This record gives sequence, C-alpha cells and structure tokens, in this order.
Amino acid sequence: MVDQVHKEFRRRDLLYSGALWLLSLIIPDPQLHYRREYRFRKRDLFYLLTILLLPLIWSDPHFHHIMVLGGIHGILALGLTLFLGYAGQISLGQAAFFGIGAYTTAILTTRYGFPSFLAFWASALTAFLFAYLIGRPILKLKGYFLALATLGFGEIFLVMVRESPRLTGGVIGIFDIPFFSFAGFIFDTYLKQYYLIWGVLMGLVLFSKNLIRSKMGRAFLAVAASEDGASAVGIDVSRIKLGVFVIGAAFAGLAGSLFASVMSTANPETFSLNLSVLIVMMVILGGMGNLYGPIAGAIFLTYLIDGLSRYQEYSLPIYGVILILLLIFFPDGIGTRLRIRLIYLISYWGRKRRREKVEL
Amino acid sequence: MFLSVEEIVKHYDGVRALNRISLQVRKGTVKGLMGPNGAGKSTLFHLISGMESPDSGRIWFQEREITGLRIHEISRLGVGRTFQTLQIFGNMTVVENVLTGMHMRIKGGLLSSGLSLPWIRKGEEAAMKEAKEILERLGLFGRWKWFASQLSYGEQRRLEIARGLAAKPDLLLLDEPASGLTYPEAKQLAQTLSRLKEAGLTLFLIEHHMGMVMEIADEVAVLNNGELLAEGPPDVVKKDPEVIEAYMGKK
Repeated sequence: MVDQVHKEFRRRDLLYSGALWLLSLIIPDPQLHYRREYRFRKRDLFYLLTILLLPLIWSDPHFHHIMVLGGIHGILALGLTLFLGYAGQISLGQAAFFGIGAYTTAILTTRYGFPSFLAFWASALTAFLFAYLIGRPILKLKGYFLALATLGFGEIFLVMVRESPRLTGGVIGIFDIPFFSFAGFIFDTYLKQYYLIWGVLMGLVLFSKNLIRSKMGRAFLAVAASEDGASAVGIDVSRIKLGVFVIGAAFAGLAGSLFASVMSTANPETFSLNLSVLIVMMVILGGMGNLYGPIAGAIFLTYLIDGLSRYQEYSLPIYGVILILLLIFFPDGIGTRLRIRLIYLISYWGRKRRREKVEL
Repeated sequence: MFLSVEEIVKHYDGVRALNRISLQVRKGTVKGLMGPNGAGKSTLFHLISGMESPDSGRIWFQEREITGLRIHEISRLGVGRTFQTLQIFGNMTVVENVLTGMHMRIKGGLLSSGLSLPWIRKGEEAAMKEAKEILERLGLFGRWKWFASQLSYGEQRRLEIARGLAAKPDLLLLDEPASGLTYPEAKQLAQTLSRLKEAGLTLFLIEHHMGMVMEIADEVAVLNNGELLAEGPPDVVKKDPEVIEAYMGKK
C-alpha cells in the first residue's frame, strides 16, 4: 500500500517536472532573471535555434517581413529596457533617436554615397552624441518630469525634421535609400534582411547580457533601487544614468539605420510619439528587468498592429482593449507572469487530483 | 586629525538643526553620537557624508577638506555610511548588494563591460570571492543567493554594513545600526562592530542603545537641540548632569 502511493507520487512528480523543465526552456525564470553567470544556458540555445531555423521552416514572405519589423522593434525595446527596466528611468523620446539613426543613414547614403556599413556605425554614433548632449541637462529630472522632457525632445526632433526640407526632405521624407550591403553582399530579400536584423539583435543581446552581469549592470539596478544607497558606495548616479541613456540611444540609432536601409524610406510620420509609446508598451508587456521579455513584447505588438491593420477603423479601440486586458492580467509582463500562471495551473491540477484521491 | 568637524552650522527653513558644532574622531577608535530625537545627529551625518552641505563651517577628512563635495566623491575618499532608513538594493541578490559596494574597486567601463573583455571577467571573479568572504564575516553567507528584499530586518541591517565594508572605507558612519533589532541581534551586532574595530576600522555611530554605546565606544558625544552637550569617555559622559537632564528630564 505504502509502496503504491509512493510510486504514484513519483510518476506524477516526473510529469510535472517535465512540464516545468519545458517551460523553463521557453520562459525566463521570474525570480532569477537577475542571475548573472557567464554561462550559455539551454534556454539561450533554444532561442538561438528558433531564430535561426524559424524563417526556413515557415517560408512565408509576409512572416519574414513582420519578423524584420519585429526585430527592429526588438532592438528599440532592448535599448529602452536597459534604461526603463534596469535603471528605472522613463524615456518617451526613444523614437527620436530611432529617427536620428534613420536620417543619418538616409542622408549619408543618398547624398554623400557612403557605404551602408559605414552609415550603420555613423548612425549609432550620431544618436549617441545627441543623447549625450540632451541627457546631460535633462537626466537631472525624475519620474514624470523626465518623461515630459524626453517627450518634448521627441516633438522638437519631429518639428525640426519637418521644417528643414533641404536636409531631411521635410514631410515627404527621403526615398530610394540603398539596401544594406556588406562586402558586395546586398540584403535585398526579406529572408536576407531577417538574418541581418536578427544577427544584429543577437549581438546586442549578448552585449546587454554582459553589461548587466558586470558592475555596470549592478550600478543600473542600484540607481533604480536607491539613489542614496548607490551614491553612498561611490556610484556617480548622474553618470550612470547618462551612460545607460546614451547606450539605449545608440541601440535606437542602430535600429533606425537598419530601418532606413530595409524600408528604403525615411519620413517623419514613422518617428512620432506613437512609436515612443509603443516601445514603452513593448518593455512593459514583455516584463521589466529582463532582456528577452521586451523582445517578445516587440514581436507580439508588431503582430498585433499588423493583424489589426485589416480592421482599419476599429483597430485603435481593439488595440486599446487588448493592452488594458494584458496589463490587468499580466502586470509584470507576459514573459514573467505567463510562467507563474502556468506553474500555478499545473500545481492546482496536481492538488485537485490528490484531493479526489483522499476523499475516496 | 582623522575626521574633524569645525564650527558646523545648518538651518532648515529657520529651524536651527546644528549650531557651531565642533568635534573630532581619532583614527582607529569608535565614537558614539547620542542625543534625543531631533537633536541633529542624522543631520550631522548627512553633512559629513555629503548628502547635504552645511551653511557654514568646515569638515576635514585625512588632511583634506571635504566640505561641499558630493556624496559619491566623499565616499570615494574613504567615508562609508549606512542609513537610518535602510537603503539596500532589494532588486538584487545579497551577494550582488555587496558587489555593488565594491563598485569603485572593480575595473571596467560601459564598453569593456559590454564586450566582457578578459580582465573584466577576472575582476568579477576576484570580486565575487571577496564579497563572499565579507558575507562570511557578517554571518550572511548562508543567504548569499537570496534577494535582499527577502531578508529579515536585522539581516538587512547587517547587509547594509557589509555593503559599506565592501567599499573598504577608512571611516564608517553607522546611523542607528541597532534600531529595530531584537536584543540578541543587537548583541551580535555589537560583537561584529568590536571585531571591525580590532581590524583597525574607524567607526562613528549614532545610537540610542545606551548599553551598546557604553560597551564598544571609546568616546561619546552628546547632542541636544543642535548643541554639543558633552564629549568624552562614556563613563564620564554618562554621569554628566546636563546629559541626564536631556535624557531623563529635570529632577
């Protein structure tokens, strides 16, 4: 009798732990997402293989195109999550740095005949410099004031782009930006672009991972938790904030450059406040304080927007309702809450079965 | 003089928090700062650690004037501090809190950390080892993987001291380290502090806990309403009639 109970328990246990193991492959652990070890995990391998093989298995050009956009949004979200999810500061001006990157590439390649590979790095550098100049004065602000200041910067950027048609083409924008090319290889199909974008994104994920595992990552988290505590151990809070702001902007600059050379156009409508808010939503939906979540959020939102674009007139209300529902049921982001929910469901099922057994 | 405060004055909107306070801390000693609530003890600590700047007067640390420097600059010169209201980093694990304390001693910038260059990894490994040793000394080693927010109040207090020690300060300012602790915890803390003193660290602590101050302090200063009431060895100060009056009221 005792033996039987024991065996039964074990079998069920195996089932649950198998399910949990599968989950742990896919969804980040909510409690341990700050764990920093220099180790390549099974989960990383899983993501890597998925990204590499997915477009080959699912060879639908529309899917590739959406994933290209999703990857660009992913880079933007990754840059912002360092600033918002780790350092705990808010920025509503991310679209402006995206725009700065896009216009740098557009102008350099169409007017001055720069190779797109050089323009790519130049875009990051320009966004970096702008962020440095903007960040120095405005990062003294906190909370809502910082949000408003970055929002203001975004609007100023838009006005400047619209009002200087000689440089930026005004409201019409710049067309015929050449495709990204490197050493004679031109990224002209959606599939090639997919690998370009996701390759860059992987590189940036690796960079961010290293960063958050280092003393800098700890400084970001320290600034988010307690500025007094951080400065009491010698961390220069304003410098750390500036550093993470500038890195987020450089990421956005890279994304902008890729966007310009993938879409072949740059026009001011793309870089409006809508996009900034969207990026913040990606980070919040994906989950604060982890790196994969925001990318998942980016893909999700890109799909949502694409799917809703068919119902043009109703798209905004539907979009709003979905976001509100997600924020109610997944306040910590889909990445973290989904796992907790699933674990809860599995354990609930186990408890229920045991209870039935006892009653018998 | 190791730490020397000269004629410090600080006002808050017409309230005189500190009035021409002068005191010194000698190297390798433990100094206690006592006084009733609102006496200006924490204000004095804020001024020394650079969180606020005095209206007039000067502060010297190791032959250097530190008046008006910002808090991270002062802490880089070797003045560590803990806070009365805990300022631990609840979003990190215990060992990461201590590693954050070592921020200035670990090499690396944004770019080199992001690229994870070889010396960064080496530095991280060495730092991790040292951080665990510090946790061992403060009896928190068993908790090193926990999130700091999951620790008990007493453990969080100890963690803050561990984080302060990780920066290898010459002077550690402790703002009411025993407040909110149970009696055995406070006793354990006193032992830890006296061990730190034996290791050559200079301590300057605010404390209400009379017994603890008498046990470990070499010298005591008493503040009341922003004035320095008495200064000297604990036994002498304890018998000072003015101090008794400030604490117990008039007979």
